Amino acid sequence: MARIGVFVCHCGENIARTVRVKDVAAAARRIPGVVVSTDYKYLCSAPGQKIITDAVTEHGLTGVVVSACSPQLHEPTFRRASAQAGLNPFQCEMANIREQCSWVHPDPSEATPKATQIVASMVEKVKQSRPLRAFEVPITKRALVIGGGVAGIRTALDIANAGHSVVLVEREPSIGGNMARLSETFPTLDCSQCILTPLTVEVLRHPNIELLTYAEVEAVSGYVGNFRVRITKKPRYVSPDLCTACGDCVAACPVDVPSDFDRSLAWRKAIYIPFPQAVPTTYTLDAGRCLNARHGTASGYRVLACERCADACLRRAIDYDQKPEVVERDVGVIVAATGYQLWDAAQAPEYGYGTHPDIVDGLEFERLLSASGPTGGEVRRPSNGKPAKRVVMIQCVGSRDPRRGVAYCSRVCCMYTAKHALLYKHKVHDGQVVVFYMDIRAAGKGYEEFVNRVMEEERVLYLRGRVSQVIPRDGELLVFGADTLSGQAVQVKADLVVLATAVVPAEDGALARKLRISTDAYGFLQEAHPKLRPVETLTAGVFLAGAAQAPKDIPDTVAQASAAASKALELLSRPVLQREPTVCQVNEAVCNACFDCQRVCPYGAIERKELRNRDGQLVRRVAHVNPAMCEGCGACLVACRPQAIDLAGYSNEQIFGQLEALVPALAGAAV
Amino acid sequence: MFQQSQAAATTPAVAETATWQPQIVALICNWCTYAGADSAGTARRSYPASVRAVRVPCTGRVDPLLIVKAFEQGADGVLVSGCHPGDCHYVQGNMVARRRFTVFRALMDFLGLDNRRLHFAWISASEGAKWSRAVDEVTTAVRAAGPLRDWGRTGARRSAVRLPAVPAAPRSAPSADDQRAVGGHLQRLAATLLTEGRVSVVIGYTPGSLPAQMVPAFVTRPEDAPALGWSDRCVNNLSVYLPGAVRQWGKVALVAKRCDVNGVVGLLQESQIARDDVVVIGVACPGVQDDGGLALKCHACGGDAPPHADWTVTPGGAEPGAHPSGASGAVAADPRDALVTYLESLPAEDRWAYWQDQFSSCLRCYACRAVCPLCYCAVCVAEKNRPQWIPVNIEGKANMTWNIARALHLSGRCGGCDECARDCPADVRLDLLNHRLSREIEQRFGYRSGADPAVAPPLATFRPDDPQEFIR
Repeated sequence: MARIGVFVCHCGENIARTVRVKDVAAAARRIPGVVVSTDYKYLCSAPGQKIITDAVTEHGLTGVVVSACSPQLHEPTFRRASAQAGLNPFQCEMANIREQCSWVHPDPSEATPKATQIVASMVEKVKQSRPLRAFEVPITKRALVIGGGVAGIRTALDIANAGHSVVLVEREPSIGGNMARLSETFPTLDCSQCILTPLTVEVLRHPNIELLTYAEVEAVSGYVGNFRVRITKKPRYVSPDLCTACGDCVAACPVDVPSDFDRSLAWRKAIYIPFPQAVPTTYTLDAGRCLNARHGTASGYRVLACERCADACLRRAIDYDQKPEVVERDVGVIVAATGYQLWDAAQAPEYGYGTHPDIVDGLEFERLLSASGPTGGEVRRPSNGKPAKRVVMIQCVGSRDPRRGVAYCSRVCCMYTAKHALLYKHKVHDGQVVVFYMDIRAAGKGYEEFVNRVMEEERVLYLRGRVSQVIPRDGELLVFGADTLSGQAVQVKADLVVLATAVVPAEDGALARKLRISTDAYGFLQEAHPKLRPVETLTAGVFLAGAAQAPKDIPDTVAQASAAASKALELLSRPVLQREPTVCQVNEAVCNACFDCQRVCPYGAIERKELRNRDGQLVRRVAHVNPAMCEGCGACLVACRPQAIDLAGYSNEQIFGQLEALVPALAGAAV
Repeated sequence: MFQQSQAAATTPAVAETATWQPQIVALICNWCTYAGADSAGTARRSYPASVRAVRVPCTGRVDPLLIVKAFEQGADGVLVSGCHPGDCHYVQGNMVARRRFTVFRALMDFLGLDNRRLHFAWISASEGAKWSRAVDEVTTAVRAAGPLRDWGRTGARRSAVRLPAVPAAPRSAPSADDQRAVGGHLQRLAATLLTEGRVSVVIGYTPGSLPAQMVPAFVTRPEDAPALGWSDRCVNNLSVYLPGAVRQWGKVALVAKRCDVNGVVGLLQESQIARDDVVVIGVACPGVQDDGGLALKCHACGGDAPPHADWTVTPGGAEPGAHPSGASGAVAADPRDALVTYLESLPAEDRWAYWQDQFSSCLRCYACRAVCPLCYCAVCVAEKNRPQWIPVNIEGKANMTWNIARALHLSGRCGGCDECARDCPADVRLDLLNHRLSREIEQRFGYRSGADPAVAPPLATFRPDDPQEFIR
């Protein structure tokens, strides 16, 4: 026979103001099976919890109903308290009489009977509750980090330094990501490559890191602690063991290709490394651009049109027959750090991006400023190579523009535009910079000071207003805009226009689907909670770092990367994983093996199990839930017509109990 | 429950007054709507004290039979709410649920339940305002509908609804010669299959004890093959015997009409039999007689040879393979469409009265279940206790729950053979319920039962852009 204890909380005045708590406790006492029912001012306080633990011991309770706030707030508290007294934590339930009763029903004559019924329904639920035990699953002590930008690098290094092995996957031929493209970083003006390359080299040399560049994640199966990841290594057609990065092949290659790394402002060869400091220092043959691509299949190169690189390579490192290689790795945790790209500014045609080479976006200007860039750091016009004496910078191109672009603020553009202006002024002392802005958002350590310095000391002209059009005319660019502070239309002549375009996700959502994590309206990877779980996802064991989650600057990216690493380490440092026992289970005697459950399970947690007799002959097949993969959503049990599946913690009997207590009680609950 | 008698005493009295508070059960998901209701509380957005929430992990956990249970227990209205599509904590639970709710809602509407009583919503954790507004609106709607007093009414018939007459059969009965020819081909084919050991049993038809009656026959020896026959009285859907026959005999040959093949496909889809287990002998059937006339299901069927057959038998002979021409097409409108449309044209309360009458005459003999090829569950939900999904007593509410459960469990699966309705001793129009839901599924999800064994059943899958105009 059930022995239930009901504990009604006043929550100070929060509940007691509109719910007559003494009446609720008295009514609960009349419910069959309730052996103790009492009220207290703050049940979550230490003396409040003691009332519960004492009652569990004294009355030998088989169930506890705490009638207080939302279970989302204090369910763990009271389950812990119940467990301390020896009761199974899943035999403690909360009746939410605050958020969903006292706070929304100001009239005590309405709130009190409703509270009574909520309590009654939870008493019926607890009567049907079974003791549940968390179970343990093993954990593979290896992490997968997807994305080799600064976020992925930092995460990988943190996990590797803690002594766990890491697989770092990067789809480009080298790691470093967008940060490797930057000239100098705000607000300290460190040279970006100077602070990044030591990290990339450390990744390469780290004994705990397996670096897979030019590789992509194909499929992810399994579950927290036990993921299996299939990774395709794209063929480089250059053997990394033989290549010494001498560059002889490059000199021999006859094909010129716009350099992605230099944002098409310079040329590279079909065989290349993205930039001289690239890690790994293995050359890559761009199969799509190589002359051999037109002859024979992509993988085959059966008829070779050109073998100049192979002839030039003394080490014989070129292998035209290399095939994509699929590797599988078992990992316990996954960190997605897939980064950002820039919004295509051609979608805002008034700025003329794409119509004139002297209209560039932020990353292109970074390359023009960079000492390793196509101009060696001299700011020259892409159209004619002449020095750019007048530069106009336009902020919020695509950002804060829900009509054509994105509604959010891209966070980094105000700062990098100020940095661009300053770096330009330092390089071109007689140059003139005009910045069109909407607002200056310089929240960050040293950021406001930096922008003020650019405005005041560097004499950069900031105009608050939008640009309506950029028109190329007579070899220069005419920028038509407004200065809303003086209320005047302005017209500025420029040699170069720099667009601070919006930051958008680099991934199109395919990876999120493979990882079974969600994305927000813009395609950024969705965190589990914006404040309390900012680096976790709703899929256990998958974490987020960097601009894949939302636009961020480098300090925030690195901070989040380390946070993701520490969350990953929290799992990796455990001997085994505890899993919630609120999972589905199949009654094999009732299962018909129609496998509709398998069709609706989003986690692939349902397997076809073979029941065999003692001679080993197959008797029949049934569905089987792998409890380590089940997340407890309950979709399978609704798909099951004979109700062979049930969900612990939300079982059919529990819900029936609740329903049966709720409805008849409703009308007659005059307390 | 301890307050039950009190409840019964007070409900009708207060119902007349303006202060009557309807009883509304809200089945809400833990991650979005429960949190949304909490945030309404945090923001102190007051709303009527009419709603009692039951927290479930996901709307995907909400079995429509739980909604039925709430009504059965006395709820005046039900609100189901979860995460917006795309926001589901379990990725897709709400989108699978959306299809189930679509079908459930169509069924309840066809039964004539006042649609002001059944509500669906997507309310996120941040939409406290939407939650309080939804409760407000749902309460107003349910209050306007009044107390639900006649869910599962028992007693005298009250409905004056008479279904319109069915149009005359679009064609005359097939000639006796043709029927004899088909019977002869079946005998020879059965003998061959059995002699060559390709099957261990042939399930077909043989003359029964009543004049012209044809009954199922299980022929296991070649010498018994002459017992087989064929006429327009071969009305049974023999695919109901398939899983059992496969278990007992191994390989089975099945004489199947075009409508029967839907059952075979359903069994294949749901892994109840393997394709190698069965040799489908498709008969180009010009229609069967039921109740003295052409069966309703046959009006729109042109008598084409069945798809998916291993052998096709026509008066001209037996040929290997399936040979549906597809050309015969519909020769007349499906009279079931007209009957469904007629019922839908009635005011909801008339439909409600009609179906209450229908269900109150149900004997719970489960003949409908016994003849259905897709009611193969070893343990039916009707026999489940702990908890008891369907009350065992033969009375209004229990009959209501059973008939809803039967219709829902066959939705998206029923092949339209109408055997359930033909065999119902109480003449409950189960065929119209099935037909209505099949039509809903075809219109909404573009799915027709029996088309392709490799396709997932429509209620075990979803599309992100499935229609959801009924969800607030």
